[in-house]
Amino acid sequence: MSSDYEFSDNEGDYYDSDEMMDFQNDDQDEDDMEMDDYNDDFKISTGSKRKSYEVDHTSLSQTSVEKSMKDDVDHICGILGVEPAAAALLLRHQGWNKELLIERYMDDPAKVLVDSGAAVQEPARDSTSIRTHSVDKFAAGPSSRRATRSSSKLLSSLTSPTRSSAQKYISSPTASASKSRKDAKSSEEPESFVCPICFDDSLELKQIALDCGHSACSGCWNAYTISKIRDEGEHCIRCMTEGCAIVAPDDFVHNILVSDAAPDSDTTENLVAWTRFQEILVRNFVSSNPKLKFCPYPGCTNTVSCPSAASKSVLTSMVPIVSCGAKGIPGSVKDKNAASSASSSGSSNSFYDKEHVFCFGCPIESDHRPVVCGVARLWLKKCEDDSETANWIKSNTKECSKCQSTIEKNGGCNHMTCKKCKYEFCWVCMGPWTEHGTAWYSCNRYDEKGGVEARDAQSRSRASLERYLHYYNRWANHEQSAKLSVELYAKTEKKMEDMQITSELTWIEVQFMKKAVEEVEKCRMTLKWTYAMAYYLARGNEKDLFEDNQRDLEKAVEDLSELLESPIETENIPMLRQKVTDKTVYVQKRNEIVLEDTATGFQDGRWRWNVSVDGFEEPLEEVRVD
Amino acid sequence: MDARLRRVNKEIADCKNDKTSNISLDLIDNSPFHLRGSFPGPEDTPYEGGHFEVDIVIPDSYPFQPVKMKFITKVYHPNVSSASGAICLDILKDAWSPVLTLKSTLISLQSLLCSPEPNDPQDAEVAKHYTTSKGSFDETARYWTQIYAGGPGTKEAKGSKGAKDEVAIAGLEKAHVDQFEALGFPRNKVIDVLRRLNYRGANVAQISEDRIVEELLKS
Repeated sequence: MSSDYEFSDNEGDYYDSDEMMDFQNDDQDEDDMEMDDYNDDFKISTGSKRKSYEVDHTSLSQTSVEKSMKDDVDHICGILGVEPAAAALLLRHQGWNKELLIERYMDDPAKVLVDSGAAVQEPARDSTSIRTHSVDKFAAGPSSRRATRSSSKLLSSLTSPTRSSAQKYISSPTASASKSRKDAKSSEEPESFVCPICFDDSLELKQIALDCGHSACSGCWNAYTISKIRDEGEHCIRCMTEGCAIVAPDDFVHNILVSDAAPDSDTTENLVAWTRFQEILVRNFVSSNPKLKFCPYPGCTNTVSCPSAASKSVLTSMVPIVSCGAKGIPGSVKDKNAASSASSSGSSNSFYDKEHVFCFGCPIESDHRPVVCGVARLWLKKCEDDSETANWIKSNTKECSKCQSTIEKNGGCNHMTCKKCKYEFCWVCMGPWTEHGTAWYSCNRYDEKGGVEARDAQSRSRASLERYLHYYNRWANHEQSAKLSVELYAKTEKKMEDMQITSELTWIEVQFMKKAVEEVEKCRMTLKWTYAMAYYLARGNEKDLFEDNQRDLEKAVEDLSELLESPIETENIPMLRQKVTDKTVYVQKRNEIVLEDTATGFQDGRWRWNVSVDGFEEPLEEVRVD
Repeated sequence: MDARLRRVNKEIADCKNDKTSNISLDLIDNSPFHLRGSFPGPEDTPYEGGHFEVDIVIPDSYPFQPVKMKFITKVYHPNVSSASGAICLDILKDAWSPVLTLKSTLISLQSLLCSPEPNDPQDAEVAKHYTTSKGSFDETARYWTQIYAGGPGTKEAKGSKGAKDEVAIAGLEKAHVDQFEALGFPRNKVIDVLRRLNYRGANVAQISEDRIVEELLKS
């Protein structure tokens, strides 16, 4: 699926990237090298200029997203003067909107801290006394300042980086001293602790609490945290006490699950939960940043950054198809096959390893170029709703020639009476029953006037259905062919091996077959979507030109497909190689032309639709020229 | 011992020892993880005098995930399904906290009976009844308490018949039902349609008789 100009583009992007684009992807580099070995034949242009149908994007690994999260957190720490753990909670609560957070924090720091679960709600009486007290002494400004400091200090006693953990052992003397609000009950007799969750009262029980001081045993905290992460996918782990809004900071979660986990807890389960927790945090960050999108492929943890497609309004002028750089699906059967065949026959693993290509602008998990997201969605919805129904209607029903109601004949004679308009007609010729006279059955004459008119009306009402099915069938055909590509790959691989045996060609030299198959599959994807586009394009010269390009590409693709399917004869191999290579380059060029032309059309606003599409002009009243 | 079992046993024991709350827990099928809780209907409500039973299932991840509760006794209440007994209460869903106990949850159910939340209904028809005509709703709820939860009920209802009165269960006026039944529609159909259209209180003036006849013909 991938060709080297895409890779070289990515490398180009690497250097002119903005703040978070310091990605590293070893896999991709390796692939790049590998492809270069045998792809020299197929280079169309060596120019590094980006094609108009491509979009700048960068792939980010989970680690690099975590790094940019950390940068944001540090940034907030620097500005607001809070601890990193608190800053992370604040940012998460505000959807990682730094400006909004800073603004809100400046307005009322205590409220923002409490709302985000980073600080305990001060008892109302206390806070007013502080305020009145400070208003006496200072201006209004310092009074709010002071509240800030007191809340953040509260948190810092728990999350200061010098201490290894954010959690607090009530039994330890330093901890109980640091907390004046901690009421006497628990510090008086720490040895008689009964966990309020599991009612365990054994002496070796470790008592843990968040900032709020609501303690429970470490085993309960562990089970609770795992349940929250695994069962609910929650990154916001609140104190277990009812109504308490304090949220566990990340290092607290880490302690509970990893570094200081309860002795009888399951270590693997803990680690799985911790990994999942980190992933949830990254997903939360990614989903609140419109410039980022998480790779939708199963098991993939990469993120793609595509700043140029961040707003919805650009989706009418571009199709932001991106790739996260990874391939295959971890743990899948295909992956295993690929691994074994790779060991036996060299670099064939990309036969099975689909590159993770998806659309940045909409939820479609494949390349829907050349058509824009809005139209692609419209088409998919229509197919979902209509195609089966339409097919059934087409083959099983007729329309009443007077009121156009759709009628299914489920028995009885040919004398039909429309249930809706009471029109009586003949099912066979669709003409009015009156013309059949009193004779029982007399529609053997084709050109009865009424019958001809009725059939005309019928055909007009069928036309739109026919039109849809025309496009749908071609769309479905290409989709089906693309699905069969796995089989074709296997078949081609077999042929390649045969060729090696019967001719002098080396493995590298027979790669032309594989490249051709890849190209065919890629072009079928393009072709598939051109039918969706053509269905909605308004009539006119633009559409004619588009359909010409579509026809040329389709013809080229079918020619190449045929060549690939043809049997191999030893003496013809050099010629076949020449032909396939030529055709592949031609097909590739035709594909470029279709993509290039539609993309420029979107940029220039050249395309007009025959339905209304979000973000585009309303369709003009269409004049029928039959 | 398993932490969940220890906790549930303790909760059951606590409930037995606590004589003031009037809440009881019994085992169903001898498993401590499937219980039947019961409590008296709160005073000064249509549920007063009733005895309400709740089916309690304790999930594997208890107490970190909420218990599953539903009413065994039929209750006429906006936040309880009149058909299945399913309960709409935040602490049984996202507002659950591991420190909540079976007892405290049952007490919450009891107080839910005192203060219905018709804006967040489980049973939309009942909620509509509640919002249009509180008086008529209370009467129906009291009648349900009487026939399903063993409540004292209204005097006239008690005196007149022993059999269940379909019209009163649906919270409708007998005169209205008779009126449409006289047109030749089956009684249960009339009750069904009138209940669905919420033909009660102030709504009676708003719904034309033609509309009802239309609905009756449709169904």
